[in-house]
Amino acid sequence: MRYPKRIGRLSVPGRKVQLATAAMLVATTVAACGGQDDGAKASAPKAPATIPELTKDPLTLSFIWFDWPPAHALEDFANAEYTKQRSNVTIKVNTVPNANWHDAMFTQFAAHKTDFDIPILDSQHIGEAVTNGNILDITDFVKQNIDVKAYNPYLLAAYGQYPQAETGKRDENASLYGLPLLGDTWTMIYRKDLIGDKPPQTWDEMISVAAKCQADNPGVSGLAFHQANGSDAAAVTYNTVNGVYGGNLWDSKTRKIDGVMNDAAGQEAMDVLVNKMKPLTAKGSGNWFIDEVNAAVAQGKACIAFNWIAASGGLLDPKQSTLGTTREQILDKLGFATLPSQKTNLVPLGGMGMHVSAYSPAANQAEALNFMKWFEQADIQKKWAAAGGVPARTDALESPEFLNAGPFNKVYADSVTRMRDMWNVPEYARLVDIENTNVNAALNGAKPPKDALDDIAKEQQGVLDSGNRKGGGGL
Amino acid sequence: MSGPVPLTTDHPGQVASATPPAPGRSRRLSDRWLAVAFISPALLLLLAMSVFPLLWALYLSFTDYSATRGGSAHFVWFENYTAILTSAQVHLRALTTLIYVVGAVALQTVLGFAIAYLISRRTHGRGLLTTLFLVPMMLSQVVVGLFWKFMLDAQFGVINSMLGSLGLGQVEWLTRQQTALISLIVVDTWQWTPFIMLIALAGLTAVPKYLYEAASIDRASEWFRFRTITLPLVWPLLLIAVLFRAIEAFRLFDLVYILTSGGPGVSTETLSFHVYKVAFLGFNTGTASAYGILMVLIVIVLTQLYLRYLNKLKED
Repeated sequence: MRYPKRIGRLSVPGRKVQLATAAMLVATTVAACGGQDDGAKASAPKAPATIPELTKDPLTLSFIWFDWPPAHALEDFANAEYTKQRSNVTIKVNTVPNANWHDAMFTQFAAHKTDFDIPILDSQHIGEAVTNGNILDITDFVKQNIDVKAYNPYLLAAYGQYPQAETGKRDENASLYGLPLLGDTWTMIYRKDLIGDKPPQTWDEMISVAAKCQADNPGVSGLAFHQANGSDAAAVTYNTVNGVYGGNLWDSKTRKIDGVMNDAAGQEAMDVLVNKMKPLTAKGSGNWFIDEVNAAVAQGKACIAFNWIAASGGLLDPKQSTLGTTREQILDKLGFATLPSQKTNLVPLGGMGMHVSAYSPAANQAEALNFMKWFEQADIQKKWAAAGGVPARTDALESPEFLNAGPFNKVYADSVTRMRDMWNVPEYARLVDIENTNVNAALNGAKPPKDALDDIAKEQQGVLDSGNRKGGGGL
Repeated sequence: MSGPVPLTTDHPGQVASATPPAPGRSRRLSDRWLAVAFISPALLLLLAMSVFPLLWALYLSFTDYSATRGGSAHFVWFENYTAILTSAQVHLRALTTLIYVVGAVALQTVLGFAIAYLISRRTHGRGLLTTLFLVPMMLSQVVVGLFWKFMLDAQFGVINSMLGSLGLGQVEWLTRQQTALISLIVVDTWQWTPFIMLIALAGLTAVPKYLYEAASIDRASEWFRFRTITLPLVWPLLLIAVLFRAIEAFRLFDLVYILTSGGPGVSTETLSFHVYKVAFLGFNTGTASAYGILMVLIVIVLTQLYLRYLNKLKED
């Protein structure tokens, strides 16, 4: 006998499957909810003061950085030199595009599992990593193993200290979470054959020289600088002009941005940038960053350009330049100088520090500490300088190995005491995005300069003040 | 005496389940259980990779959870949703996305259908032409974005070089508010017009020839034949292609990321790009989850409305 098919009710196996599915979903959800408590303790774990016993087994020490020449130089240098001391160790510098750098590190930190042992953080990333407990507190390790007096105190603080140091100083009571890997700042690159051997000394003079050069040389733009809205490109440009014209990014003690950044000095800086400097740049340069500025210089399309020193090495390569067939010929045309001053002589602090991932295996953390101790030695810092790196130790900065390695290295040495950093706070990624998009909008005519600056100040203040906000964070 | 066994049935599944198990097969392994056993790996994969993340995102959307800051998630109920729906920043991105979707899909539909119509009228080389037109669709969006970035470069790009040789001035394709969104639409159209073309071509080749023959006997004009035979028969299929493209365009991320990074300013930031920033710059996971859920809801609601229209069209 056949029964009619039941409608509206599932057969027993069907119901069982549904019940089992529902139970599994609930169980997984509960399990996942339970897993969240792991992150409740958000503070950086401490590294041992002395280096634990190192493994004799083969070990790969992994770094993460963005893809640019110093990353490749570091891998080559470390594999050539560090392995003399530790033959069982291979150094691997993993690189990601600059725009993905922050995401690549912090998404792995969020998973509490990293495929790198030494994250190379921008100085402003330290606050976010420390607050979330992603990197080791190496204060005790530094006391025991590093000669801190060998450094300019601000350089040591900028790449390792949290809470952030005051510009030019180091708080010796503050904790350290990193050590300098690569120092950097902007250099002014100028065409000696077009504007003469003597670089402009003031910002106003620089603008007038660039304007004259542009007028005298059709097809060559007066200026080339970072304007893109990715990474920190346009933000660093504005911050540099802001500093030179006597502005401040914020009052770090009261955490006040609105009314500070957009004060009279800040407005003047924005006016100079958008109304005096931007008209001297090439058409369509509103999305230029490091590579595009270098390309314009190498192709002889800019009278004066600004770029990071660590990214300027390629400018002297005849294969990449139309300015000469030898390095000497190129150097006859290109000059490198410290930034002109105006109301102040501040320059942007670039470069990065190395840190230890809190989620690396113990053997790798020990190796990472050993690498850092090795790397910060005087003779290794000089070798790093000769290999194309920018060291942070004062003795290495003053050494002939460094000063003779590139024409821009003296620029760095002369700029060390003039450096100013941005905000090193956990909210940095959002602060810099707000500034980047608004400065980029002003530079490309999408927003009036005053509105852009006021929006930056207001939106950034909103981010800093949103600590107690319950929902909708991040909008 | 038993009656004859029916050879066919309206409910083959039931006959199958009524058939005694084959000799040697365990009594417990009925066809029903076998079916469950066979589909369960795929089902489990679907549950783990799609259903669970969706439910998890739904749960997070009611909390203030941050993936990097850790700590337990506190319920904020609908505050994330309220903040998103009332945010001027989100409204701006929604408008940008709408302009992009309408612009790109409309252009692709017109061009795709036109190309398909022209190809369908050819008797020789149709296969080769179709294959050549499909090449852009097979490329990765990132690759497409990168080479169009070079081509649209104001200083060194081939597009401006061509314009220059025609005596026209340089255009800042990617750095001006007026042209950046248009550039995105053009690049997307270049890549995805072949998709519409392919679907339209399938529809066009399926139109019965005798309809055209009858129209010819009645001395119907070309335009009349197109308007009363071709278009009505291809239209439902074309609408499905438009639906797929609209959903794809709605969640545009790759091209924006590569070509403009959302700039100048935020003038080409789409909703997906904004969700990415909320999720990964500030790691506001709760807000980003609510944002994502709202986007899914919008797509579901619009799709339902669209499908109803499509069904109505078929019934008519």
